[in-house]
Amino acid sequence: MIAALIRTLDNLVGRGEAAVTVPPLDGALRPNRKLDEATDRYPLADVDCLTVVDEALLASAGNAVYQLDGQEWQQRGDYEAEVACIASAGDGGLAVALATGEIVMEGGGFDGRRYNAGVDIRCVTAIAVSGGALYVANGSADNFADEWQLDLLQRNASGSLWRIDLDSGEGTQLADGLAWPAGIAIYSDGVVVSEAWKHRLVRVGPGNPGTTQVLYADLPGYPGRLSPADDGYWLAVFAPRSQLVEFVLREPGYRDRMVEEVPQPFWIAPKLRSGQSFYEPLQGGGVKHLGIVKPWAPAMSAGFCVRLDRDFQPDLSLHSRADGQTHGVTGIAEHAGRVFAAARGHGVVIALSSGDLADDRGDEQ
Amino acid sequence: MTPILELRNGSKDYRGVHAVRDVTFTLERGEVHALLGENGAGKSTLTKMLAGVVEPTAGDVLVDGETVDLRTPSEALRRGIAMVYQETSLVPSLTVAQNLYLTDKKHFHRLRGIYIAGQQFLQSLNFHVDPTAQVSALGAGQKQMVEIARAVHHNAQVIIFDEPTATLTPEEKHQFFSLVARLKARGVSIIFISHALEEALQISDRITVMRDGEHVVTDVTSAFDREKIVRAMVGRSLSDELYGAHKDRKVRRPGKKVLSVQNLSMQNVVRNTSFSVFAGQVTGVFGLIGSGRTEAAKVVAGVLKRDFIHGGQVTLNGRPVRYRVPRPAVRDGIIYVTEDRKVEGFFETMSIAENIYLGAMAGGQSRATTVSMAEMREFAKHWIDALSVKAINGDARVIELSGGNQQKVVVAKALVQKPKLVIFDEPTRGVDVGAIAEIHHLIERLADEGIAVLVISSYLPEILQLSDRILVCRQGRIVEEFEGHKADEETIMYAAVH
Repeated sequence: MIAALIRTLDNLVGRGEAAVTVPPLDGALRPNRKLDEATDRYPLADVDCLTVVDEALLASAGNAVYQLDGQEWQQRGDYEAEVACIASAGDGGLAVALATGEIVMEGGGFDGRRYNAGVDIRCVTAIAVSGGALYVANGSADNFADEWQLDLLQRNASGSLWRIDLDSGEGTQLADGLAWPAGIAIYSDGVVVSEAWKHRLVRVGPGNPGTTQVLYADLPGYPGRLSPADDGYWLAVFAPRSQLVEFVLREPGYRDRMVEEVPQPFWIAPKLRSGQSFYEPLQGGGVKHLGIVKPWAPAMSAGFCVRLDRDFQPDLSLHSRADGQTHGVTGIAEHAGRVFAAARGHGVVIALSSGDLADDRGDEQ
Repeated sequence: MTPILELRNGSKDYRGVHAVRDVTFTLERGEVHALLGENGAGKSTLTKMLAGVVEPTAGDVLVDGETVDLRTPSEALRRGIAMVYQETSLVPSLTVAQNLYLTDKKHFHRLRGIYIAGQQFLQSLNFHVDPTAQVSALGAGQKQMVEIARAVHHNAQVIIFDEPTATLTPEEKHQFFSLVARLKARGVSIIFISHALEEALQISDRITVMRDGEHVVTDVTSAFDREKIVRAMVGRSLSDELYGAHKDRKVRRPGKKVLSVQNLSMQNVVRNTSFSVFAGQVTGVFGLIGSGRTEAAKVVAGVLKRDFIHGGQVTLNGRPVRYRVPRPAVRDGIIYVTEDRKVEGFFETMSIAENIYLGAMAGGQSRATTVSMAEMREFAKHWIDALSVKAINGDARVIELSGGNQQKVVVAKALVQKPKLVIFDEPTRGVDVGAIAEIHHLIERLADEGIAVLVISSYLPEILQLSDRILVCRQGRIVEEFEGHKADEETIMYAAVH
C-alpha cells in the first residue's frame, strides 16, 4: 500500500522510477568524432555483424556474408534467410545464425552441421563459440530481431541465453527473463551478456546458471554486441538513450496508441539512423538550428562504441554525434592492428588504427 | 624617521608554546607592509599585540617612538590603530550603519541620521552595501567591506588587515586595492596579512616573512619574487610541489562509477546538469562564483534539496538516492567538506578531539550512549598524528588553531566516517602554502586508495594540479570536460565564461 502511494507520488513529481533522466556521456564515454574522422571507410549496405576468421574480416549483410578484400567486399556465401549474426568458431570455422533461429557451421571441425537451441528461438541477436559449445542470445520470445523497437516499446524482458553442445547439439537454457540480450562475451568467470533494454552488462553463471550479476549498469545507450579486444572487450552501443524516449517508455497508453496508429519510421524510439524525414519526432529546434544539425542534439541515433577493460568497465569510447555519418554501430572487430566498426545505420564499415585510438586515452602520458 | 608603530623584541607564549618569539617589527608612516607566513607562523598574534588584543609576554610596543601599554583594542583605537579581522567582528543582529557607529554613543540611536551618514560614507569608499541591511543577511564579501569601512571610519592612522581579500570577488578585490591606494595617499599606514602572494607583491612597499613564530626576513617588495617568498615562508622550495608541471604527471585510470548525477535541477541555480564521479580518481570542478558547482555538490550530499518536481536523479553505486538531510548521505559514504569551515565545518567551542569524535558518531561508528573520554582522546590522537595537525593536544579548541590546521580537523572529521565519495569544496581557501601541500597530498592519497574524490575550486592551478579529469561549470550546468593532463588554464577559463 505504502509502496503504491510512493509510486504514485513518484509518478506525479517525476522522481525515483519515474525520473526521466539519461546518464551523461562523460569520463571514458566523453563524446568525440572518431568514427566520423576515420578515413578508411568501406561501404556495405545493411552491414550488421563483424568477425575475423582465418585472418580475414567477415561481415554479414542481408542474406549474405562478405569478406573484405583490399578495399572491396567480396561475397563469401549466401543463405536462405537473413543472416542474424556471425561468429568465429575457431580452427577456421564460421558460425552463421539465421533469422529463422537456425545456426549454420561453415569450415572447421563442425563444417556443415546445423543447430537450433529450441523451436521457439527465432530472435537470435548474438552468438559465440567457446570450449566446444555455442552460446546463443535470443533477444525476445515475442518478437523477431528486426522488431527490436517494438520489443522496447512493449517493455519486454523475455530474452534468454542458451548453450548448445557442439557435439551433441543439445541446447541448455542458461538464463531467461533478459531484456533483449544483444551481445555475448565468454571469459573465465562466466558468460557476460549485454541487456539492451536495461542498459547494462550482466554476468551469467558459470557455476550457478540462472543467476546474474550486474557488471556495469546505466549505460547512456542500448548495448549490443560484445567482441574481444586486445586487452578487454569492445561493446557496440547501437543507439543512444534520450529523455524523450525514456519519457515515452513510462507512458503505456501513449505507447500503445503510437504503435497502433503511427507508421513505424516515425515512432518515438531509438533508431539506427535518424533525421531522414521531416516527420520524424524531434526534428524541430531540438536537433537543428538554422538548418544545421547540432552535434550535441538528443537525436534518436548516433554512433557509439565502448572499449571495456578486463573488468568490463569503460576504458575509452568512439563516437559519431548527432550530425555524424556513422550511426547505428552493431558490430566491432579488431583485425590486423585496426579496429573495424560496422555502422548499420549508414551502411558502412570504418577502420581506425591503434594510433587513432591512443590520442584520446588518459593513460598514455 | 621614527616609525609610526614598532614592536621591539616582542614575544608571546600560550601555555608554554611560543606563538611569537623575539620579533622586532617596524611600520613606517604611509607604507603598506605585507606580513607573510604559513598559518601558525605567528602573523595574527603579532598584529594582535600591536592592536591591543593580546598582551606581549615580553617586549615593547612603540607608537611614534613612545612606548605604550595597549591593554585593549579600544585603547589601540584611541592611538589610531585599528584592526580588520579575518573573522568578522561585526554584531550580526545590528544594521550596517549601527555597526559603523557602534562606538559613537552620541549618534548610535539616531537611526535616520546614521543611515544617511552611513550611505554617504560607504559611497565615498565605493562599497555597494545597504546601510540599513542587517549584517547577518550580508554575504561574506560585504561583511568584510563593512569591517574595512569601520576601520576607515575611525580615522585610524594604522590599519591592520588580516586576510582582507579571502572572501572578496575579483571586482571587490579591485575596489579594495584602490581603497588601499587612497588610504596610503592620505598617509595611513597599513599592515596587510595575506596568503595570496601575488597580492602582497602587487600592493605592498615592504614585505616581512615569519616562520614558526620567528622573524625571517624584511625587505622592500622589489627584492622579492614568488619563489623567494615561498622559500622564506616554508624553508624550502614548494613551487613545483604545489603547482608544478601538471602535464608531466600520470593520470589515474577511472575505477567504477561511484556517483552519477543525471539532469539535476535546483531552482535556477543548478539547471539540468549531469556528471559522473569515478572511484580512484580526482574529479575537479571549476567554475566562477555563482556557477552552481557548490549547490550541485550540496544537493548530492543532502545539504540542499533538489527541485521537488522533476529535480533529476542521483545514483550512488548504481542505486538512486535522495537525501533530505546530510545524515543518510554520510551513512552511505558521501562526505562534503565545506568551503566555509568556520560556519559549517566544526564546532568552534569544542576541542579537536570532540570535533573528530563527532565525525565518527555521525558516521554511525559509535552507538554508545556514553562517551569514554579516554577513548575519544585516543581516537583523536590517531587522526591528529595521521594528518599532522599542529596543536598542543586534542583538548585544544579548534577555533584556536590556524586556518590550515582547522581545515585538517574538518578533513579528519570527514575521513573518520570511512567515505566512498569525498567532496572537497575549496579545500585550501584561507590555508597557508605549507598546509596546502599537505592537503593536496592527502587528497591524492585518498584517490590512490580508491576513494572517489570531487574537488571544487576557484583556483585554476589547484584544479590543474590535482585533477585527473576536469569538469567546467557554467550557469548551473557542467558544460565541458577535460582530461587533467591535457587541459590548460586558458581553455578551462574560456569554457567557464563563454
